[in-house]
Amino acid sequence: MKIIWFLVSLVLTLALIFALNSSWPLGGTRIPPLGKFLSPFEGFWQNIEAKDQTLSAELNISGLDEEVSIYVDSLLIPHIFTNNEADLYLAQGFVTAKHRLWQMEFQTHAAAGRISEIIGAGKDNAVLNYDRGQRRLGMVYGAQHALEAMEKDANSKLAVEKYTEGINQYIQSLSYKDLPFEYKLLDYAPEQWTKLKCALLLRSMAQTLNMGDKDIEMTNTLKLFGKETVDLLFPDMENVGDPIVDNTGQWNFNPVTLESVPSALPNELIKLSGKLPPSDPTTGSNNWAVSGSKTANGAPMLSSDPHLNLSLPSIWYAIQLHAPGINVMGVSLPGAPHVIIGFNDSVSWAVTNAQRDLVDWYSIEFRDSTKSEYLLDSNWVKSNIVEERFNVRGQNAFIDNVVYTHWGPVTYDDTYHAEDNLKHHAFRWIAHDESNESLTFYKLNRANNHQDYMEALNHYSGPAQNFAFASTGGDVAMRVQGKFPVRRKDEGKFVLDGRKTSNGWQAFIPNEQNVMYKNPERGFVSSANQYPADATYPYYITASNFEAYRNRRINQVLSALSNAKPEDLMNLQNDNYNLKAAESLPYFLEQVADLANLTEAEKVALDKLKSWDYFNNVDSEGASYYEAWWDALMPMTWDEFRKENVSLSRPTTYHTIKLLKEQPELAWFDRQETPEKENAKALLQAAFRKGVADIEAWKKSKNSTTVPWAEFKDSYIGHLLRIDALSIKIKHGGNHDIVNAHSRTHGPSWRMITSMEKEGVKAWATYPGGQSGNPGSKYYDQFVSHWTSARYYPLAFLRSKEEATSLNHLHLNPSKK
Amino acid sequence: MKFLMQFLFIVIGSFVIQLFLPWWSIAIVAFAAGYLLKSSQNFLAGFLGVALLWGAYAFWIDLGGAAPLADRVAGILSISKPLLFALTAVVGGFVGGFAALSGSILKQDKRKNLYY
Repeated sequence: MKIIWFLVSLVLTLALIFALNSSWPLGGTRIPPLGKFLSPFEGFWQNIEAKDQTLSAELNISGLDEEVSIYVDSLLIPHIFTNNEADLYLAQGFVTAKHRLWQMEFQTHAAAGRISEIIGAGKDNAVLNYDRGQRRLGMVYGAQHALEAMEKDANSKLAVEKYTEGINQYIQSLSYKDLPFEYKLLDYAPEQWTKLKCALLLRSMAQTLNMGDKDIEMTNTLKLFGKETVDLLFPDMENVGDPIVDNTGQWNFNPVTLESVPSALPNELIKLSGKLPPSDPTTGSNNWAVSGSKTANGAPMLSSDPHLNLSLPSIWYAIQLHAPGINVMGVSLPGAPHVIIGFNDSVSWAVTNAQRDLVDWYSIEFRDSTKSEYLLDSNWVKSNIVEERFNVRGQNAFIDNVVYTHWGPVTYDDTYHAEDNLKHHAFRWIAHDESNESLTFYKLNRANNHQDYMEALNHYSGPAQNFAFASTGGDVAMRVQGKFPVRRKDEGKFVLDGRKTSNGWQAFIPNEQNVMYKNPERGFVSSANQYPADATYPYYITASNFEAYRNRRINQVLSALSNAKPEDLMNLQNDNYNLKAAESLPYFLEQVADLANLTEAEKVALDKLKSWDYFNNVDSEGASYYEAWWDALMPMTWDEFRKENVSLSRPTTYHTIKLLKEQPELAWFDRQETPEKENAKALLQAAFRKGVADIEAWKKSKNSTTVPWAEFKDSYIGHLLRIDALSIKIKHGGNHDIVNAHSRTHGPSWRMITSMEKEGVKAWATYPGGQSGNPGSKYYDQFVSHWTSARYYPLAFLRSKEEATSLNHLHLNPSKK
Repeated sequence: MKFLMQFLFIVIGSFVIQLFLPWWSIAIVAFAAGYLLKSSQNFLAGFLGVALLWGAYAFWIDLGGAAPLADRVAGILSISKPLLFALTAVVGGFVGGFAALSGSILKQDKRKNLYY
């Protein structure tokens, strides 16, 4: 009898251990393996870093040629000192993985369409569909080409190989106890790092910045509303403010011209209910460089301020790399070698997105449902069908056949977003092509002067960026660099006919004909995603969106600047002046001046708006009322552009305000849901009432009598897994279209100021996050309070090891295998 | 007295073994304690021994910790932080308790059924 009880008890014990050692799906999410996860000896408790932990250590690493010193400062920024380049990149890979391994792997999995391996297919297959989208956009295909190019150059090849080796050295040193928190939470383990992952990461940045195209939306607009509407509502140039480079009449070169005629405008309606999400139109960036003539100490200064979707772990990882021939500091992208934005002892550089249209969609005609042949220049051409496999966690593998054509992969077809299953659309993207951006950063990291910067940029294809430059030699410069197709008028705005090769990119703008200049008379260069060049630049330029407000405010402040100190540039980076409100609110208020039967709340709103100084500061109530009004106005104005199963896109902010002011009787201002015929005035009145009602509803839900802007905006820095408990709420001013471009989810991701003094370059910086990716580390969110309060850390740019004596020392010794 | 011996054996044994083996090694220690140091309250000894060890160690780590990861995990699991400590203790405790119970039952049976 007792043996039965023993067996029952034993089985129960073993079953309990098994249950607590496995993760279990529960309603769309997963419970971590509770025994493993909660064990204080190896579970998540071990990810809590001790208050008194020391960062100094001595480790043996195989693959090193010589000893390596990594000094770690109080911001957890590593300063790597090596005697040769191979060791330098191995150490960069090692230390980056030490602080960011989970993020590096997760982001490259996301780029490659492999998230469903980690978290399953998701609710309604959302995760699997995301993964399929990534493969169908050719992310891996593009990354493979990037890697091929990287390996053709000895320097970029060495860097990517050693960086990869360094990451793998770190991965090999890990036991379960040491795994980053998220692996324990989701119950999986890191795989070997590969060189392809480095390429994937760079292509993923290109995806973030290039996918703002509206080809499908504009094609639908054309079909539904006609060419006149397209021209009226979506002009190529808005003619607002200064272009990035104003060089009127001075473009002294013979531009490439194309003999062929522009392609015919399409006449189709593309029904897609769930088009892949585009780049956020509010993603933008600021950069500028000020000549010595405008600064107090006569040295040029540079400002870096890229705006991205803010996330934790942070997008950027600050680092210093020191070896013979190189001493550079700045930020890297975890998962790729080199410094991407930064400075050395002679030059500094910063980037903003160039916005230009570098993606096109081509409609494909297949011969039959096998899709093995498609029509091209009157011939049936064989397609290449690639079997993509998705090892979805917790279920059978999913197979997706992706058809590659002359243009690229067919993204949308009868198996993916098949709402319009008679049509197939292939995707052409500049990032599908071979290019070696790594070489640009390799060279920029070592550049001594303007000439070196120019040479380095010649290797840069994409994502196209506006590169601001300043040097201790006294130069400031700007160059819009990327590989740009020569476009015929309207080319790239609409979906193209994929049956004719003549509709493809025929030529590229030669590097030396890109938009650029050096030391302009006004004493500064700047860019904020606005239109790149004056109207005399001899190439057709198109993009979904050029910036209209930040750039004017920046140039206005920089023009007035003299005897500038670093603090002046910091103030400008954090400037909350809402130029859009200053230009539109007086007109808006006129339209509601005679509004009858005002409620108490509406009277309060009008008072707050009338006394507002146009600054979106933390406690400003006027800003909340204005933004709520605006947020009600846009969808109400462009209600015609909200149709089920048809992707459409609204006109820009700037153009909307312009039309409201200049053509108030435009038929578009009629609201379709009301029987009355509205004009701009009636529309603004309705939007005002809706905006005030939204604010009142907010006040009620928060039990608050006031509506301060930072509270109303309610911004946050989200963890990559979108887990609230790992995210951080932020109370901060600014908004999109403002220099301090912090909207609810996007904002300044690396604020850096460099002063290019001959006696020694100085730099200050901050970013919304921290150096460690570990939510159990104080370095996880260390910089956030500085970032929100416009404070900067002076960066410890070390000239030699002797300056590092007070810092923690991570000593790596070569070990024999 | 026997209970206290058994309990201490489990606390100390579990601590040492987990420095080398995965978390489930607590079951080996508790099982051995149930078998070798059988008391009248074997489940309780196993439960309390591991629960106390896990709970106290977790508490100690959190106390000296530089970041509120425990709060964050409590948030992920939608429970309060005290409950997270309790859950940690209870999860370890149940494994320890059942393992000790199993060991103690085996001991009694071994004398009667030598063929087993």
